[in-house]
Amino acid sequence: MAMLKKYAAMGRAASAITFEYRAQIVIWMMSSFLMVVMLLVWLSISRNGAVNGFSSADFVAYFMVGWVVRNLTAVWTSWELDYSIRQGTLSPKLLKPIHPIHNEIAANWVEKILRIVIVLPIATTVLFLTPGANVVLTPAALGLFALAVAGAWLLSFLADFLVGMLAFWTTQTAAFIEGLYALKLVLSGIIAPIAMFPQVVQDMLKWLPFPYMLNFPVEILTGRASTPEQLLFGFGVQFAWVAVLLVALTLVWKLAIRSYSAVGA
Amino acid sequence: MVFSLRPQQQRDKMKYLKLLAVFMNSSLLVDLEYRANFIVQAIMGVFQTGITYISVALFFTHTDNLGGWTYEQSLIIVGLFSIINGVIYVFMQPNIKRIVEMVRDGTMDFVLTKPVNSQFMATLRYVKYSGMANIVAGFAIIALAFGRMGYAPDAPALVAFALMLSIAILIVYSIWLVMGATAFWFVKIDNLAELFNTLFDTARFPITTFSGIMRIFFTFVLPVAFITTVPAQAVLGQLEWLTIAGALLMGAALFIAGSLFWRYTVRSYTSASS
Repeated sequence: MAMLKKYAAMGRAASAITFEYRAQIVIWMMSSFLMVVMLLVWLSISRNGAVNGFSSADFVAYFMVGWVVRNLTAVWTSWELDYSIRQGTLSPKLLKPIHPIHNEIAANWVEKILRIVIVLPIATTVLFLTPGANVVLTPAALGLFALAVAGAWLLSFLADFLVGMLAFWTTQTAAFIEGLYALKLVLSGIIAPIAMFPQVVQDMLKWLPFPYMLNFPVEILTGRASTPEQLLFGFGVQFAWVAVLLVALTLVWKLAIRSYSAVGA
Repeated sequence: MVFSLRPQQQRDKMKYLKLLAVFMNSSLLVDLEYRANFIVQAIMGVFQTGITYISVALFFTHTDNLGGWTYEQSLIIVGLFSIINGVIYVFMQPNIKRIVEMVRDGTMDFVLTKPVNSQFMATLRYVKYSGMANIVAGFAIIALAFGRMGYAPDAPALVAFALMLSIAILIVYSIWLVMGATAFWFVKIDNLAELFNTLFDTARFPITTFSGIMRIFFTFVLPVAFITTVPAQAVLGQLEWLTIAGALLMGAALFIAGSLFWRYTVRSYTSASS
């Protein structure tokens, strides 16, 4: 309960900042526009027939749901973390009786709400207007989808925070953040449904965290992952990775704080 | 030279060239000082090029052409995408980052009060050599594509390529210049840069992949077509005169508009001194 109050307070502070820079939200939203572009490229191919079982309508469904998921799971904390470690502004945050990660989470959620208010109606309209775009809207599927999105957000956030913590040891964090982004672009399903990869690659990818950051929740809502085996395996791997990253984050944070000597005031 | 420069202008020209050499030299010293950083960034550059390659090659496991471009021809576009990305890392990003910082903390004063053109001083001051890795990787991919095609561009194609690549760089510079100029209004522009990166991501595909409104948008509004597709057509010897004229016009118009916009927004700069 106390934690909830703290989150409410941090959320209010974050929303004040977000509203101050409201023009940027629109820009941010558009920056997930890449998925729309990828959709167009795939459509240019599927015009001549289904690709690996994906018809044109399937591509529309995949990328529109994917666009929503991407906005729901967007993270950028590593940049803030990198900046505050390098500039020494992390020090006052460390003095507060609450882990700085909570503040970042609150800020992340506030913006998420604003994004979804704009993205969701657009995606819904497109899905509605595309004949044959298949989205499963049963309560069970929606519940599983919500859980998978939560897992996807956790994975993205934890991985991003871990990479951001590299700033404790190197000034080159930006390069690693970009590297993680590039990997995510290809391996999480942003530029293509994972089903488009050769089977060998797919078999390898299903053990990595990346597909569970986007592809997995999308497959649930579009009805591609529906058998108990698929779901059990998917959630199993997803939350196993969440646990691994959570442990790693805790350990690295402890290690980092011990050796951290602030720059500046 | 048809026009002879007045002595004052000639001296100015020399001054700017000398300044450019000084800028490049001091940046080199910085990079040499932080060698580990240089190596990390260079490796990331090659890695990124690999990812770009995968993101395009993936389509060719399902099709034999993208908007009429074969796999090998598309590789040339991938190479160009990497080259332009490298140019952005080398010249544009480090300077834009500084512009934002300087507007934020008020040190832009020192740039504006120098007896040098402010746009020149603010946008060409820093060079980050590690971005060269992307450029080299890009050329390597183009060479690979030529090898697979068994094709060697003739002299006119190479000249056209050099010209179109220069125009592409000028266009990208102008867009970044406009973004940098908006820092005088918005201060925080990292999101604007992110927006550019996202839209620029489309440049890894031939423009013909897109149809209708999208193609018009990426040709005339955000001229992605002139950044990768046109130089690729040039080196393949498929360029039409109309395209060359269009590219020249687009490059010149954007550069002039960008420079005017810079001058206009600089006036809104009020410094941030305490």
